[in-house]
Amino acid sequence: MHRFMNGLARAMAVLGGLVLTALIILVCVSVLGRALNTLLHSGPVTAVLGDFAKTLLDTGVGPILGDFELVEAGVAFAIFAFIPLCQITGGHATVDIFTAALSVKVNRMIQMVVDIIFAGVLILIAVQLYEGLLSKMQYRETSFLLQFPIWWSYAASLVGAVVAAVVGVYIAIVRVAEFFRNQTILSIGGADH
Amino acid sequence: MTTLEIGIASFPVLLTLIFLRVPIGLAMFLVGLFGLYFATGTFNMGFSRLKSETYSTFSSYSLSIIPMFLLMGHFATLGGMSQSLFKAAEAWLGHRKGGVAMSAVGACAGFGAICGSSLATAATMSQVALPELRRYGYAGGFSTATLAAGGTLGILIPPSVVLVIYAILTEQNIAKLFLSAFIPGILAAVGYMLTIAIYARIHPDRAGTARERMPYAQRWRAVLDVWPVLTVFLVVVGGIYLGVFTPTEGAAVGALGTGLIALVNGGLNRHSFVESFMATARSTAMIFFIVLGAAFYNGFLALTQVPQELSNYVVGLGLSPWMVLTVILLIYLILGAVMDSLSMILLTIPIFFPIVANLDFGMTTEEVAIWFGILVLIVVEVGLITPPVGMNLFVINSMDRLTPMIETYKAVLYFVASDIIRVIILVLFPGITLFALRLMY
Repeated sequence: MHRFMNGLARAMAVLGGLVLTALIILVCVSVLGRALNTLLHSGPVTAVLGDFAKTLLDTGVGPILGDFELVEAGVAFAIFAFIPLCQITGGHATVDIFTAALSVKVNRMIQMVVDIIFAGVLILIAVQLYEGLLSKMQYRETSFLLQFPIWWSYAASLVGAVVAAVVGVYIAIVRVAEFFRNQTILSIGGADH
Repeated sequence: MTTLEIGIASFPVLLTLIFLRVPIGLAMFLVGLFGLYFATGTFNMGFSRLKSETYSTFSSYSLSIIPMFLLMGHFATLGGMSQSLFKAAEAWLGHRKGGVAMSAVGACAGFGAICGSSLATAATMSQVALPELRRYGYAGGFSTATLAAGGTLGILIPPSVVLVIYAILTEQNIAKLFLSAFIPGILAAVGYMLTIAIYARIHPDRAGTARERMPYAQRWRAVLDVWPVLTVFLVVVGGIYLGVFTPTEGAAVGALGTGLIALVNGGLNRHSFVESFMATARSTAMIFFIVLGAAFYNGFLALTQVPQELSNYVVGLGLSPWMVLTVILLIYLILGAVMDSLSMILLTIPIFFPIVANLDFGMTTEEVAIWFGILVLIVVEVGLITPPVGMNLFVINSMDRLTPMIETYKAVLYFVASDIIRVIILVLFPGITLFALRLMY
């Protein structure tokens, strides 16, 4: 079970990473296109290249239309896709100094309660994201430049949100088992580092 | 209870949750959600905000700079740039008293110019510098303390993830903040080197032996080897300063650049590529969950009018602005000993910034915002190296199991002192921080 969940979280993180890499390349191509476009419009270059500059410009050398919107949609997907890994490796920022003095038993209980609540919040986030998706679909909202339906990006993000909720519930179950069996099953800070 | 009272009551509740080890983002989220419930009597508002707010927080174009900078930092680590930076710094500083430690600081500063995170800078440079420091006979605690302090340069010297968050929270220009962070960052590096020089004179037995002096031809050759770092830095930060591209575009260009360098140097294969995704994923998710929690909590706070009321109250007290600033910075120093820098910024800036912005320091609002941002950045970074819980200390100590934590604690106090002196100087002379800004704009 743990191998499956861990594999799922890692797969999502890789997927998110690949989308992030694609966005990085997209933004760089757009920057390059804009730079070339400016260059081809500049006086000296048009003087030297003449009609060729115009031909190049006509082929569409310039910034990528709507790169801004693609970054927004893509990065939202990537971040949602990153959450499961953070969840399963216990990567969230906490303040440990005051609980360090408490007994192992009490700490297990705190961890259990926290992770149950966390699972609840992740489910809530996924459900509300789905609600959001439905309303975007209903009102047929589209992005400004590319005119793609906003609900597409919501749907992509929903995949990550659902996996995060599933992993969150799994972690909560593990913590309950840890508390009642009084043993550590999954150490915080990552099982496989 | 009035909504204002609910807002005020939320502070102790939030702090209690955080101190009970509830993840900071989750704690802010919960208090925000339940706070809205108590203030409005229903969950409708909180739930309907969730419909679009999670998505809009995660899909922010300005915040997309964060995963890009994080990935860039990991690529830089893989590209072997830490190695060449350290060699270059060593060529120039290695023959001085405490020179190898100074070189570590210099290399950290260089790495900080392409990496926006303290922990990553500290961890990366440790891999290169710790073995060298041991080889030249530096005491373990002094070595770890040097690297922990050097690591904070990762955030002080732009690009800086914390500054991005500050810029967005206070609606300031990221490029201007990066520009203004530069001089204080250099001052920090110089301050640390002076600290090392002083330490080496107080404890000569712990500061190792100096290297042989290198001829200048060799020194310059070592500098030439860092051209990839220099190029990436100049293109990214220069491009952002000059407005050639947006900070997000700069981050993308930098990530691609460092990725290509890592690829050429052979540091990037399938395995390390996947692992840099993992590391980026973990930190990104952690940061954005705090950002989401903070957005929720701050939305609730704004509804209760606490920030405005508090700001009016403080201004009404008629205290000297400098005194208020000092108290705020002291609060950061204390909080910094237990909490990570990003959480602190997200938690406190919405409350402290309106207060500071309302005080009269004899500067324009923008100047105050930028100056205050840099000061906060520095004091939260001091927290990273303040015993007992400074995060950088833990990271480095986990990489050097031979050195007991207490040795690191003892030596790091020198660097903390250097930080505090620098903060005092920057508070007394805002012109130092604002010099570059006033020159350029």
